[in-house]
Amino acid sequence: MGQIMNDILDYLKDNSFIDRESSLNSSDSLTQNGIMDSIGLLELMDHICEKYSIEIPEDMLTPENFDSLQGINDLIVKLTK
Amino acid sequence: MRIDAYIAEYARKTPPQIALEEGKKSISYRCLDEDINTIASSLMDFGHCRFAILAESGIQYIKMLMAVYRSDNIAIPLPIEMPKFSLERILDTAHINNIIATETQYSRFGEDFFERFGTVLVFSNDTSVETRRKRIATETNNPELRLVLYTSGTTGTPKGVMLSDRNLVSNAESIINVLGIKSNDKAALVISPHHAFGNSIIDSHLMAGGSIGIGTMNFMESTFSLIESGVSIFYGVPSTYRILLRYPERFRVAFGNVRTAASAGGGMDLATVKNMRDLCSNIEILPMYGQTEATARLAYLPPEDVDEFVDTIGRPIPGVMLEVFGDDNRSVEPNITGELVARGENILLGYLDDAITTEKKIIDGWMHTGDLAQKLPNGYFRLLGRKDDLIKIGDHRVNPREVEKLIENNNDVSRVFVVPVSHELLGTAISLMVIPTAGTEIDTLFSFCRKNLPGYLYPTEILFIDNLPLTENGKISNRSIMEEYQNVKSSM
Repeated sequence: MGQIMNDILDYLKDNSFIDRESSLNSSDSLTQNGIMDSIGLLELMDHICEKYSIEIPEDMLTPENFDSLQGINDLIVKLTK
Repeated sequence: MRIDAYIAEYARKTPPQIALEEGKKSISYRCLDEDINTIASSLMDFGHCRFAILAESGIQYIKMLMAVYRSDNIAIPLPIEMPKFSLERILDTAHINNIIATETQYSRFGEDFFERFGTVLVFSNDTSVETRRKRIATETNNPELRLVLYTSGTTGTPKGVMLSDRNLVSNAESIINVLGIKSNDKAALVISPHHAFGNSIIDSHLMAGGSIGIGTMNFMESTFSLIESGVSIFYGVPSTYRILLRYPERFRVAFGNVRTAASAGGGMDLATVKNMRDLCSNIEILPMYGQTEATARLAYLPPEDVDEFVDTIGRPIPGVMLEVFGDDNRSVEPNITGELVARGENILLGYLDDAITTEKKIIDGWMHTGDLAQKLPNGYFRLLGRKDDLIKIGDHRVNPREVEKLIENNNDVSRVFVVPVSHELLGTAISLMVIPTAGTEIDTLFSFCRKNLPGYLYPTEILFIDNLPLTENGKISNRSIMEEYQNVKSSM
């Protein structure tokens, strides 16, 4: 896992039901597995915008971009280019 | 009549009409009715038994729920957003021998979680049932019991609210009436279907022969696309609207063809109403009030009165009587504060396996809501906080919500919250948490309190905060205020 995914995973471990020890695959669904709900996702979004100094357009708020570590990683890479 | 019988009726009358949509999937009344029959056939040899349902929101959940109804069993939907230990706490007290789960939830919760059940049925896509274990045990239940909904548990242990077919049908009828729901209406269900509000959307729209688009609030683009797919009635809790309003331009487009925006699960504020109106001038905004114990709804505010009376819950829905009772359980005059009580066919049978709490909730046929209220001269009702939230200071009973209103209405502040804190002499005193505006001055607030409040309400301190102290359900209560206070203090 790259730096961005590790950062997000650390954030999730501090801010969600996910345990410190449990592992999460980069393609696992955050919502289907009960790791994030809608408010949690909003907070995660704000966190990402601040940390990476990006703005996320509404039309990118889709499951493809936001429901997995891989999706979020790709989104950040795309927007910080 | 049972709710699922209406689906069977529409399967005969309007078979190709779409009943449910979810993403790219959709299902007609005819197919929905057939699938319910197929699933129900695996439940037929149980005789009025309790079935926990563990399923994410979606078409599959509604099929499972209706199949439990059709097989004459009792549905107990588990609120899957709760952490595992909370669900286990519910299951420890609820004596549920049987469970049906989706494959997704079965693998998420793991085999160990299901060991407590005698019967475990797992549904994969559509209707195929895998019986992991089947042990039918005889149960004695209230003969009218059909559905048990768990309250969100704002106050400690979640309680199982027992509802009958009559409760479900009568409340859905009232809601159809108030909202004017027709078979050509399409509802958006983006809140949890496992609680009273979401469940009432399912019941009322299927009873009207209309359709329901099922989604979530997780991914805004998907939510807005759902709304744009021809939704005529949108339902949300106030925070649902606040979240959607973070994207005003998208909101304007998506809600352009929505007829009614209905809300429940907390008071709608004027700022949110104004923001919605500014973007969509034609939209009908319809705030509603209710409780799980009343199946869902008790009152509604007619859209034409939203601007003037947004701080009230309006009037009772058809079939419901509301009154304000004093401590002697008799009606008080208008403008006098008492407890809001209700009666009607939607009032719960009781709490599951808890006769003592039931006796306190329903007294002489009146359900005690626990909400403090006043009846206005025009027949509307204004809520004044929870009865449990009354604070005892010395020998005075103080309603913190009234104190907050008084300070807010007479000072340059955004919001005020009264926090009960311990006091050496009085036992309890109050502190204030204030969301300031640019012009808020602490000294002015202190002197206002000195001049306008009795001495025992003079705040021990005034703290500034940034955000509303909400519970996870988006409500404000003494508990959420006290939690925020602890957070603020510990970070000071």
